[in-house]
Amino acid sequence: MSRNKKEKTVVSTKPLRTRIYIHRWFYLMILPVLVFAIIFFYLPMFGIRYAFFEYKGILEPVFVGFENFKKMFSMAGFWSAFRNTMELSIIKLIVNTGAAVIISLLLNEITGLKFKKAAQTIIYLPHFMSWVVTASVFALILSPTQEGLVNSFLTSLGFVEKGAEIYFLGSNRWWRPAYYIINIWKETGWGTIIFMATLAGINPEQYEAASIDGAGRWNKMRFITLPALANTIITVLILNLAKIMNLFESVFVLQNDAVVRQSDVLQTYIYTQTFNSGALPNYGYTTAVGLVKSLVACALVLICNYASKKVRGRGIV
Amino acid sequence: MRKFSKVLALTLVLTMVMSSVLTGCKKENGTEETQTKTQTQGATPQADQEAEIEKPKKITIMVDGTLFTKANGRDAFEAKWEELSGIDLEIIQPDHDAYYDVVGQTLASGDWPDAILLSSTFYSGYAEEGVLWDMTDFWENSELKASGRINNEAITDSLYIDGKLYGLSPARGNGCITYVKKAWLENVGLDVPTTYDEYIAMLDAFTKGDPDNNGIDGDTYGVSSAGLIGVEAPYTNYLPEFYQDAFPSFYKNADGQWVDGFSEEAMAGALGRLRDAYEKGYIDKESLTNGTSDCRNKFYEDKFGVFTYWAGTWATNMRTNLEANGFDGELIPIEPIKEVGAYLERQAPVWCVTAKAENPEGVAKYFIESMLDGGEMQQLFTYGVEGTHWSTKEEEVCGKIYEEGQFHMLENLETKGTQYTKNHIDPLLSIGNFTAFEDPGAEQVTADTRISQETFNNHSKVVQLVPSTDVMSQYNGDLTTLKREIIANVVTQGISFEDEMKRYEEEGGAEWSKAIVDSLNAK
Amino acid sequence: MMKREKKKKKITLFSVCLAIVFLLVCFLMIVPLWKVFVDSLDLHTAYGMKMWPKKFGFDGYISVFTNPTLYQPLLVSVITTIAGTFIGLILSTFGAYVLIQWEMPGRTFIANMLLFTMIFSGGMIPTYLVINNLHLTNTLWSVILVPALNVYNLVLMRNFFEGIPVSLFESATIDGCTPVGIFFRIVLPLSKAALAAIGLMFAVSYWNDYTNYKLYITNSDLYNFQMKLRSVILGSDLPIANGSATANTVKNAATMVAIIPFMILYPFCQKYFVTGVNIGAVKE
Repeated sequence: MSRNKKEKTVVSTKPLRTRIYIHRWFYLMILPVLVFAIIFFYLPMFGIRYAFFEYKGILEPVFVGFENFKKMFSMAGFWSAFRNTMELSIIKLIVNTGAAVIISLLLNEITGLKFKKAAQTIIYLPHFMSWVVTASVFALILSPTQEGLVNSFLTSLGFVEKGAEIYFLGSNRWWRPAYYIINIWKETGWGTIIFMATLAGINPEQYEAASIDGAGRWNKMRFITLPALANTIITVLILNLAKIMNLFESVFVLQNDAVVRQSDVLQTYIYTQTFNSGALPNYGYTTAVGLVKSLVACALVLICNYASKKVRGRGIV
Repeated sequence: MRKFSKVLALTLVLTMVMSSVLTGCKKENGTEETQTKTQTQGATPQADQEAEIEKPKKITIMVDGTLFTKANGRDAFEAKWEELSGIDLEIIQPDHDAYYDVVGQTLASGDWPDAILLSSTFYSGYAEEGVLWDMTDFWENSELKASGRINNEAITDSLYIDGKLYGLSPARGNGCITYVKKAWLENVGLDVPTTYDEYIAMLDAFTKGDPDNNGIDGDTYGVSSAGLIGVEAPYTNYLPEFYQDAFPSFYKNADGQWVDGFSEEAMAGALGRLRDAYEKGYIDKESLTNGTSDCRNKFYEDKFGVFTYWAGTWATNMRTNLEANGFDGELIPIEPIKEVGAYLERQAPVWCVTAKAENPEGVAKYFIESMLDGGEMQQLFTYGVEGTHWSTKEEEVCGKIYEEGQFHMLENLETKGTQYTKNHIDPLLSIGNFTAFEDPGAEQVTADTRISQETFNNHSKVVQLVPSTDVMSQYNGDLTTLKREIIANVVTQGISFEDEMKRYEEEGGAEWSKAIVDSLNAK
Repeated sequence: MMKREKKKKKITLFSVCLAIVFLLVCFLMIVPLWKVFVDSLDLHTAYGMKMWPKKFGFDGYISVFTNPTLYQPLLVSVITTIAGTFIGLILSTFGAYVLIQWEMPGRTFIANMLLFTMIFSGGMIPTYLVINNLHLTNTLWSVILVPALNVYNLVLMRNFFEGIPVSLFESATIDGCTPVGIFFRIVLPLSKAALAAIGLMFAVSYWNDYTNYKLYITNSDLYNFQMKLRSVILGSDLPIANGSATANTVKNAATMVAIIPFMILYPFCQKYFVTGVNIGAVKE
């Protein structure tokens, strides 16, 4: 916050030309970044115009005005996919980030270096299993038979009767909890990396000083570790908001016909539109859905960035 | 600090090395191209003797992974093809997974190949869009059609859209046939089922009895399937005995009118049968979430006894896997039960000439038609290249010993320990006979494969090609999702068919379906 | 360091609980991996969970590693991962360093311009057409350059740079250091943990990349390891008539093989995540 104020005072004292001259090196450094952004992101963005066309990727696109949007908003499937995308990805984001923060904090408390590294490595490995394989392994673990580990465990505890096992992935009540848990399993360890790197930046003298002041483990975590992480947590959350609408593969491999209402997200909706329509994909329509997705993501990021500015004095970029 | 600059220096050197490697790759490709060009220029003069159709100098084709890939000796295939035809061939073969994405991108970029392999959906869609060259006249006057080598006219006939033909399939599309474990049938003392009642009696015995003879009753079940309904036509192919005459999508009825089979009476019956069997445990409880490999693995583990799966090579493959696990591997590919009548055959992928090809007749004649020339070219498309993919030498391949002169496939270059079975055209599905010589591979086909394929070929009908309409591309995606959801809900979630059909009306399913039917009939 | 650790080695109730919690967590994490591992060593195709292979054998791994077409893709993967990570780190550190220059005119514009790219995209076909017009399709440059600018990583990097005390910059400027000098002498050495973490994120995304290969590379000589492994995993759907390793075993072996590089790579990064390394290094 103080930096922000300082910035303003400095800004007002020097003329623009001088400030540009002072920063000449920085303009040079940002140049390659901007070149990449323009070539690989801004040039293709001209494709957004297809949202207003009927375009099958072959012949000249036909201008159709808002037809694609009209169709989109009139489809029940779109709205259900829209709601699911928001719900699934926001809950997933919160749950995954929460799990990663908790695990990072706990890892930080482990004193045995070897144990810590081993635990860290094991937790991080699931990230590297492809979603296809993950889905088939979990279909087995959650199988509605005595071969499914979870069901046989629940049976032995007496929660589930033999012969009435729960079909976790094929029931619209259980699919979502199962989905979140599988995501926690797969992504928690990977999520800790960025938090562990942040924790590495905390000056150990701070902890020592706190110890001298008689602070316990809990207070040190609360007053030193967590504040140090807060910045990163907020950045990660907001940055991920920009990407939440892209949720695809994890849902695609785990969904099935019985849970469409609970699981279909915008990307899987687009996929069905593209490959199950029995006709050529209309890229205009999928671009229109993509545009709506982007607008929503943009709004989410702006709102959260604004909130972050209010609370912390500045946004994420 | 010093360490860091060292790392930096090292990475800099690495990038320099790498950039030279990268440019190196490009250069190599360049030289390759010029080499092939000079080669073919030498070979062109022969072409002049051919009839009116001018021989192209170069043909560019786009094909998926069903032709031998680069890792499996595609270069040898290309060289042999160029030698036989005297034409320069360029093969674009994108990754199998992304084939239609890349096809779309390539067409959008304007740089069209001459010939392209398309699934039936893209075939009818692209035909509608004017991407494909109309080869109706070409085919009528073609040498292949007149030759009498074609053994199955129905395949080409099924490709006509509004009386016009835009491509050719050199082979049938194949489909699924029901396999029953012979030992299980014997253990429960039943015969091969010929009616639905007998089929259900068999499933009942497999589920409640002890068909695997392990002394425990009821630890097995009847049939398993990857999903209750397929994602593409013919949809019902994994559980045909339950669906029988019900078809969940569009078809032309006996009066020549397009209808949507989903809202017909037959569908109610089919879902009732499925639901009943699912509740009684005849059908695998996990059918909704099963992938095809899950089903296969359970089958190999002797968990269930009836499996409807691809005819042909899979028959041998399943036996091998069962026997490797120590079970009796003998499977009976049964004839369709009375209520089913005929198994459904999928539309085969179609070879088309694009509308931008400079010399479409030439491409059709020298690339597509020649695939079934009854001689060396057909052999190349069926079995590949001698010395790379097949051989007649005396040798041992993958533990099998072959005598001198005995035709056999060689070891897979990519997956060691396995043998090739075919190239682009499956010899058992080919619609053209060999005439220049006997089918060289006829003797290497195992009895299992042959019997299952022949049973299927004799008892199947090709699913209809559905033309593509704008209304269809508007609504069919949503409609398909709704239909699949209803099937799953009725069969597995205990919701009544009547309630779900009410929802089908309410959510617009009936309306979309009618709009699509109308658009099809208006064509 | 050593002294501190020894002091802490007292066994407390807390550390016992912590150890139990992590043993449990690790156990839960390992169960699904164990299933893949056991199946990769089991020649008996099976459905269901097992503690140990029924018919033990390395055939799955042998058939993955004796696949002669795997070496070229491995090389492609190594080259693109190193080059991509390097370029990616250059772009994100440069960008991040510029974004902490609060007084720089146009900073906010640049920041928003970058953030915008994260949210809006032109779609698959327009991107392809740009890459194609630059003649990058079917060259490794397409798969190296396209993912190199990653705004997500750039902003995270900026977040780390922000943690560097402003006083360090000020004193360096007074000592006559140019901004570029400060970047190399202060910012980068102080951000080893961040470089390790974000470098790892880049490396992993390059190593695992197959989307870009699918779309921009049709020349199979330029396929990477991941593309190949995927075709082994998905290829298990093709009927393979004989050979001792069943398709299922090969598929699981390929999955394990895909994990191995990261088991090797991670410990190298881990040492930068240890608390206290960071500031201490500067003070030396």
